[in-house]
Amino acid sequence: MIEVKGLYKEFDGRPVLEDINIQFRDGECSLIIGASGSGKTVLLKNLVGLYEPDRGDILYGERNFTRMKFEERKLFRKEMGMLFQESALFDFATVEENIMFPMDFFTDWSLEQKLERVNFCLKRVNLENSNKLYPAQLSGGMQKRVGIARAIALNPKYLFCDEPNSGLDPTTAIVIDHLIQEITQEYKITTVVNTHDMNSVMEIGDHIGFIHKGHLLWEGCSKEIMDSDCQPLNDFVFANNLARKLKEK
Amino acid sequence: MKGTFQTTGEYWQLMLRVFRKPEKWSVFWKQFWKESQKLIIGSLVLVFIVSIAVGGVICLQTANNLESPFIPKYYVGVMARESLVLEFCSTMIALILAGKMGSNIASEIGSMRITEQIDAMEIMGVNSANFLILPKIVSATVFSPLLMLMSFIIGLAGGGVLIALTGIITIAQYIEGLQYAFNQWYIFYSMIKMAVFCFVITSISSYYGYYAKGGSLGVGKSSTQAIVVSSMLILIFDLILTKLLL
Repeated sequence: MIEVKGLYKEFDGRPVLEDINIQFRDGECSLIIGASGSGKTVLLKNLVGLYEPDRGDILYGERNFTRMKFEERKLFRKEMGMLFQESALFDFATVEENIMFPMDFFTDWSLEQKLERVNFCLKRVNLENSNKLYPAQLSGGMQKRVGIARAIALNPKYLFCDEPNSGLDPTTAIVIDHLIQEITQEYKITTVVNTHDMNSVMEIGDHIGFIHKGHLLWEGCSKEIMDSDCQPLNDFVFANNLARKLKEK
Repeated sequence: MKGTFQTTGEYWQLMLRVFRKPEKWSVFWKQFWKESQKLIIGSLVLVFIVSIAVGGVICLQTANNLESPFIPKYYVGVMARESLVLEFCSTMIALILAGKMGSNIASEIGSMRITEQIDAMEIMGVNSANFLILPKIVSATVFSPLLMLMSFIIGLAGGGVLIALTGIITIAQYIEGLQYAFNQWYIFYSMIKMAVFCFVITSISSYYGYYAKGGSLGVGKSSTQAIVVSSMLILIFDLILTKLLL
């Protein structure tokens, strides 16, 4: 479980996150939703240590991530996997080399063992026989799947996804959502997904946190979101005509 | 002024992260050879063309300007050798490499920064600065003196070719000039300068790439800054090293 306690972060004196308290449970897909600029990416970057919180704590089980020393944190990062908004695949490496990258650093596996793991991960994301392709040769959806394969290469306990559906068509977006959900349940991973895609919310939202102007305003599940009386959340969820018509029905 | 101090501080902080023991030596050596090919082997053609041309031009200009009958003809060879070894093969080649290597490194690392590839490495627990920058610095610093030597030999050969083609002096006079009052230390001095210059080029360009921000425009800006600052530092270090070593 990941527990965020009283998180506060500011940039140049301007608060971006204020008093965030939230828990992300094991084996669940937790979604952080909110409009662009609400602070959800900053929260995710604090969770993975790309930003340091100005106040507050982030606990991974019993371990306080914010108070870990550099070397301790480095070891701990092996338990994390992350899928980036633009996939962040290494341009200089093939699909196979991308997935093998963390293995090269943190395992003493032989090349055969690494290849076996690469092929397993690629099969898991339905992307077999693409080992020798470069990221530039892949479509957006394929890049996301390679990103997931790389994120799960070392069997992480925690998976973080930043806008996994951005730039994808609705069908591919649902495929990626389901893949994230399946992997979460299969390996009992604690998954935190950052999104503003309402399809994702309805498809995989086991637990949802709504951030508005740096504050966590609402928490619940996908079933509860439609009946919420939180006005900023309703404004966000029913921002488009289709959603408004669905609610009226 | 604050900006300069901040930049200097950030640069040394980055260098502290760069000069750590690599996570895995096998990964480091693989990157080292890759970078050597890209930075050094990839510069051979450019250095060859520039050196042969400049060697020829130095000989031609020296010969045209030596009008006094009291100055022996072989002085063309002496002048070509001294000009090449003292300044051209180290400082001028380094300034040219600052453009080629500097923009290459800054744009490569800068693109990785803005597309979150560096963040991806950090999240995996990889010291991205060490993985990306150390092999570049080490390969350029280790192999660049050889590049200087190559430039020197090709520059002299270029002078020889021009003399053979134009007949401004005889080849024998040229060779006599090359051998006249030769100071071997100048070769080492030039090799040391080249190693220092290439350290400056790779580390400064890596710094600007690593801290690039603001999309593709930011990457372009960081490349330009890398070249400008590297070139200025090369000239400053040229003065310091000349004062120290000669």
